[in-house]
Amino acid sequence: MGYQPDRSQYPQQREDGSLDIDLTSGKYLKLWQGPQHPGITGNMSVELTVCGDEVVEGKTHVGYLHRGFEKLMERRSFIQCFPIVCRICVPEPDFNEYCYAAAVEELAGIQSPERADWIRTLILEMGRINSYLMYLGGQAGSLGQGVIGQWTTYVRDLMLDRFEELTGARIYHMFILPGGVRGDLPDGFNKRMEETLCEIENVLKDVYETMFCNAVFKKRTVGLGYIDPELIEPYGVTGPTARAAGVAKDVRKDQPYLVYPELEFEPVVGTDSDVYARADVRRRDLLMSVDLVRQILSKMPNDGKLMTKLPNVLHWKIPRGETYIRGECSRGEYGYYLVTDGSGFPRRVNVRGPSYTHAVALLERLIVNINISDVAGLMVSLHTYPPEIER
Amino acid sequence: MQTLYTKLKQLFKLGELTEQRQDLAFITVAQEQLRPLLLHLRDREGFTHLVLLTAVDWMEEGQFQLTYLLNDRAGARDIGLRVMLPRDSATMDSIHDIWPTAATYQRELREMFGIGFPDSPGVNDEFILEGWNDIPPYRRDFDTLKYSEENYSHRPDRETTDPAQHMKQQLYPDEG
Amino acid sequence: MSIRDVLSPFTAWKYLFRDPVTITDPLNERPGAARYRGFHQNDVQACIGCGTCETICQNAAIDMVPVEEILTESGDSGLRPRIDYGRCCWCALCVDICMTGSLTMSNEYKWVESDPDAFRFIPGVDKKHWDDAELGYRRPEGHRLTPARRVEMHELEPETRIGSFAEIVDGYSVADGLLEAERCVACGLCVATCPTHMSIPDYIAAVRDGDYERGLALLYETNPFSEVCGRVCTHKCETACAVQHEGEPVAIRWLKRHITDQVPYERYREIVGDPAPATGKRVAIIGAGPAGLTTAYDLARKGHEVVVHEERENPGGMPRYGIPEYRLPYDMIDRDVDLIRSLGVKIHCNSRVGTDVTMDQLQQEYDAVLLSIGLHLGRSTRIPGSEHQQVTKAVDLLRAITDGEEIEAPRQVVVIGGGNVAMDIARSMARLQKQQHGEVNLTVTALEDFAHFLADPEEVKECGEEGIEILDARGPQGIMLDENENLIGLKTWHVVSIFDEQGRFAPSYDESDEQIHQGDMVIEAIGQMTDVSLLSEELTEKLEWNRGRLAVDVDGRTSESWLWAAGDCVKGPDVVHAVADGHRAANSIDSYLKEKTV
Repeated sequence: MGYQPDRSQYPQQREDGSLDIDLTSGKYLKLWQGPQHPGITGNMSVELTVCGDEVVEGKTHVGYLHRGFEKLMERRSFIQCFPIVCRICVPEPDFNEYCYAAAVEELAGIQSPERADWIRTLILEMGRINSYLMYLGGQAGSLGQGVIGQWTTYVRDLMLDRFEELTGARIYHMFILPGGVRGDLPDGFNKRMEETLCEIENVLKDVYETMFCNAVFKKRTVGLGYIDPELIEPYGVTGPTARAAGVAKDVRKDQPYLVYPELEFEPVVGTDSDVYARADVRRRDLLMSVDLVRQILSKMPNDGKLMTKLPNVLHWKIPRGETYIRGECSRGEYGYYLVTDGSGFPRRVNVRGPSYTHAVALLERLIVNINISDVAGLMVSLHTYPPEIER
Repeated sequence: MQTLYTKLKQLFKLGELTEQRQDLAFITVAQEQLRPLLLHLRDREGFTHLVLLTAVDWMEEGQFQLTYLLNDRAGARDIGLRVMLPRDSATMDSIHDIWPTAATYQRELREMFGIGFPDSPGVNDEFILEGWNDIPPYRRDFDTLKYSEENYSHRPDRETTDPAQHMKQQLYPDEG
Repeated sequence: MSIRDVLSPFTAWKYLFRDPVTITDPLNERPGAARYRGFHQNDVQACIGCGTCETICQNAAIDMVPVEEILTESGDSGLRPRIDYGRCCWCALCVDICMTGSLTMSNEYKWVESDPDAFRFIPGVDKKHWDDAELGYRRPEGHRLTPARRVEMHELEPETRIGSFAEIVDGYSVADGLLEAERCVACGLCVATCPTHMSIPDYIAAVRDGDYERGLALLYETNPFSEVCGRVCTHKCETACAVQHEGEPVAIRWLKRHITDQVPYERYREIVGDPAPATGKRVAIIGAGPAGLTTAYDLARKGHEVVVHEERENPGGMPRYGIPEYRLPYDMIDRDVDLIRSLGVKIHCNSRVGTDVTMDQLQQEYDAVLLSIGLHLGRSTRIPGSEHQQVTKAVDLLRAITDGEEIEAPRQVVVIGGGNVAMDIARSMARLQKQQHGEVNLTVTALEDFAHFLADPEEVKECGEEGIEILDARGPQGIMLDENENLIGLKTWHVVSIFDEQGRFAPSYDESDEQIHQGDMVIEAIGQMTDVSLLSEELTEKLEWNRGRLAVDVDGRTSESWLWAAGDCVKGPDVVHAVADGHRAANSIDSYLKEKTV
C-alpha cells in the first residue's frame, strides 16, 4: 500500500513520480479552505490545488491551536495535569480525563472504586451523545442544511444542563480525576436525564426525516468519500469511520474497559463506507448511547465509594513505567500513552486522537478528484477535531 | 504475551520484555530488527493496526526511546516496541511503506524531537510549528517556562508572599 | 431515492408552530447548578493563609497577600489568597486541597465589568454579592487529596512497659516515616511557632527524599538537642500544623526523631562540621542543661573557647534529672552532649559555682558568663503536715532515680499536681511499685479539671493504661497522720475555680466535697524554682530582678554587662524554649565579644 493517493485521472505524474502541477500554466489554482472558513472543521486548513472545480491535491495544515499540552504536562504534578487534559478536545473532553486518570491509576497502582467506574462510563456516554449531536449539525451544515444544527444544539444544551448539575461545569467538566470521580449523582438526576433522553430521541426522529430521508442530502453524500475497507488498517482508521466500512471496530467491545462488559450492546456497523453511511452509523450509534445511558442508570449500584484513598497529591511520585490506555470516543480510538520516571511529574504524555490519522493521511488521500463543493462535507464526515492532532 | 515473546525470540534478537497488563506488553528491540519484526507482527501475528508512534526523551541517559504501539484487534492485545536511539544525531528508518499514516508521526517527531526519518514523504515540511528557530521543543532540554518568560510579559502587580517568610517578618524579624 | 425523500424534509415546517426553547433573560433566569464551579468564596476567619491553594494551582492564578484586618499569629500567616480570574480555569483543585475547608466556590458565573483588573480580587475580603451564596461547589464528603490520619506510632504495650524504665516509643520505620512525611503540605506555618524556628518543612522534605543526612544537618543547624527534642519536645509546632484542621497534625516530633534514628551517630560530627578558627575569647557557662549547652554549641562553632560548670555528676540538666528514662533514655542525652563536647566545649561536672569556684573568679577569668541553672528546687504546697518526712518533692525523687539511688517505693502513693512533672513522677513511682510490690497503687490529684488539664493528653492516656488513677479538680488541704504521726493520706476538697476575677491564682473550694486519699507517701509536683544561692550577696544586690526571677533583656543579658542568663531559670520550664534561649544568648554574647575585639 503506497503512501501516495490514488490519482485515477490527473494530474499526470512526472518521470520521478512527482505530480505534474505547473501553476503557471493557468490550468491549476491554489485554494485555501481554512483556517477561517465556514466549511472547515475547527482550527485547521486544507491547502487545495484545483483544476476547474475538481481537487487534484489537498494538504492538511494544523498548528493554529497548538498549546503544547504534552510538553506542559511534563512540568506539572500528576494532579495538576488533571485540569488541563480536557482542553485537548473541546466537544468531547471526558475521554482525556478518563484515559489520563486510568493511566495514572495503573502506573501508581491504585484502583478507582466500582461506583466511580459506573459514573465514568455514564459521563463518557453522555459526552458521546453531545459529540454526535454536534457532528450531525455540522454534517448537515456543511451541505447547507442549517436547521439541523439548530435542533441538535438545542438538545445538546439540555445534555449540557445534565453535565452541569452532575459535574459542576458545562464544557470542561474536570470531574474524572485519578482515583475516582468528584461527586455523586444529584437528587432527581435520573428523572431529568430520562426527560432529556426522550427529547433527544424526538429531535433525532425529526433529524432522520429531514436530513437522512432527504433527496438533496442523499444526492450529495451517497458515494462521496468512499473508503475502501482495505484502507482501514494501513491508515489507522477507527471508530464510526471504520464501522461504516463494515469493520466492526469498537474498543468498547474489542477490549472492554470500565463497566462495558456489564452492558448489552452491539457495535453499529454500516456497509457503504461513504459520507451517508458514516452519518447514518453515527446517528444509530447516538441512539445506542441513549440506550446505554438508560442501562447504566438502571444497573448502577446504589451506593459505594467514589474516590479511592490518594497519597498527598502535592508530593505524589510514581515509579518508572509506561502504559497505554484507550477508549472508544465518538470519533474512534482515543488513547493516552503515559511514561513515568519515578519523579513527581510525567516523563512523557502522548495523546492519540483519532483525528491524527483521519484528518491528515486519510483526508489527503480521499480529497483527490472530488468537487470543491464537497470538500467540507467530506471533511466533516471524518469527524475531526484538530486540537487532538497538534495537542 | 509470554508465549508470543518466546515465539518471537526464536526469530529475532529481542531485548527486555515488560508485561504491563495482560493485554499490553513492551519489548525493547534493536534498531535494525524493527522493520522485519514489524512486518512479521503485522503479517503473521495479526498486529495490523499501528496505534501510535512517538518518542520519549531520556536525556539523562543520552537516549531517545521510539515507541511503536501495535494492536491486534482479534487477539485483543497490544504490543509496544521500544527502539533506543543515541540522542545526538538520532535517525531512524521510515516505516511509511508499511503504514502510510506513519509518515505523519515521523514528520511530527522530526519537528518536535529532531529525530531524522530520511525517505519519509514530506518529513521536512513544517507540521505544527511555523518559523521555529529554537531547539526542537519536545526535547527535555527545551525549557517551556524559560521560553515563556523570555517571550511573554507578566501581568503587572502580580506579587505573592511566602507564608513562612511573612510570619518571620511579622513575628520574629530579628531572630535566626 | 424515493418520493418520500422529496416530501419528508418538509416535515421541518412543523417547527414554525413550536414555542422557542431559548431563555429570554439568561442573566437573571439562569442560575448555575447547585454544584456549579463559579466565583470563589473564602471564609477568611477559618482560612489560615497556608497557601496550599497557591501551591496546587497549575495556572499560577493565586497569590498570597497580606490583608489588613487579619493578624499574623501562631497557626495563621495572616495572608489570604487573591485570585486572578484571567488565569483561573475553574478546576477547583484549590477547593479540594484547602486545609481548612474555608475556600469554596459559589454558583455565580455571570459578571460584566469593563475594567479587567476587577477580575483579580481576594475572595471574602473584597466583598462580592455571591459571598453568601448557598449554592456552589463544596468539596464532597470523603473527597480528600491529602491523607488526614497520622501514621500510627508503635509503642510498648502497657503490661510490658510498666515493669521497667525501657523506652516506650519505638520510632518510625523507614516506610512509616516516609508515609508520615508525605502528609506534610510544606506550608511552613509551624516554623514561627517553634521557639527555635527549626526549618521543619525542609527537614520533612529531606525525609521524603530519603536524604537523612541533609535532614540531620538541618536539625543541628537550629537545635543541638535534636535527639532530646525528637522524643520529649512539647511540639507546639504541631498546634500550628495546617493538616490538623481537617485531620491529625503531622507528627513533626516523631519525624525529627526519625531522622536522628536513621543517621549513624558516627556521621553526626562530620555533618555538623568543624568550628570556625579560634578567636581567643573565653566564655564560662554555669549549668549543662539545654540552654547552657546550646549557647556553648553556638559559641564553640564560632570559634570561642567555652567552659561549662555543672553541679551534678552528669551533664544534661533537666532532660536528664527531670525526665524519666522511659521517655528519654540517658544515652540519647549523652549523644547530644558528646557532640557538643566534640566541638571543643569543656564540661566540668561536680563543680558547683559558689563553692568550688566563685562568680568573681569566673568574671575575672572569662570574657562573658552565662547563667543557665534551671529550676531545680521543688515548690511546696505548705499545707498542714507538708513538712512530714514522707512528703517529698517530685524533682528530688526524679533526681534520685536518675542518680541510681535505692528508692523504697511505698505501697500506696498520692501525687499532688497536674502537669507533666506530676505524670513523670507518678509513672516512675508506678514502675518502682510494680518492680518492688508487683502492683501499681497510685493516685494523682490535680487542681485543674480535665477540660483545662496541664499535662499532655498522651501522658494522661498512658497513665490510665498503666493503672494510675487521676482525679481532677481536687485541691490539697492537709496531710493525714495517724496517732503515731505516720502518714496515712491526703485530704482534698473539690475545686470550684482556680483564678479569681482579676485572673490571679486564688482557688476556691467546695468544702462539702471532701475526700481522703490513702497513701504512705505524698509527692508534691506543683512547680519548681531556681536555686540562686550560688550568687554572692553583693552580686544579688547589684542585679535587677523581676518577681523573683533574674531580669534579662530580649537577648538574655542581665543588668551586668558581662553576665547573661538563659533557659528555665528565666523563661520557665521547656526544653525547646531553653534551646531557643540558648541561641539568643549565644548571638548576643558573640556580638559582645566581637565589639570587645574592636
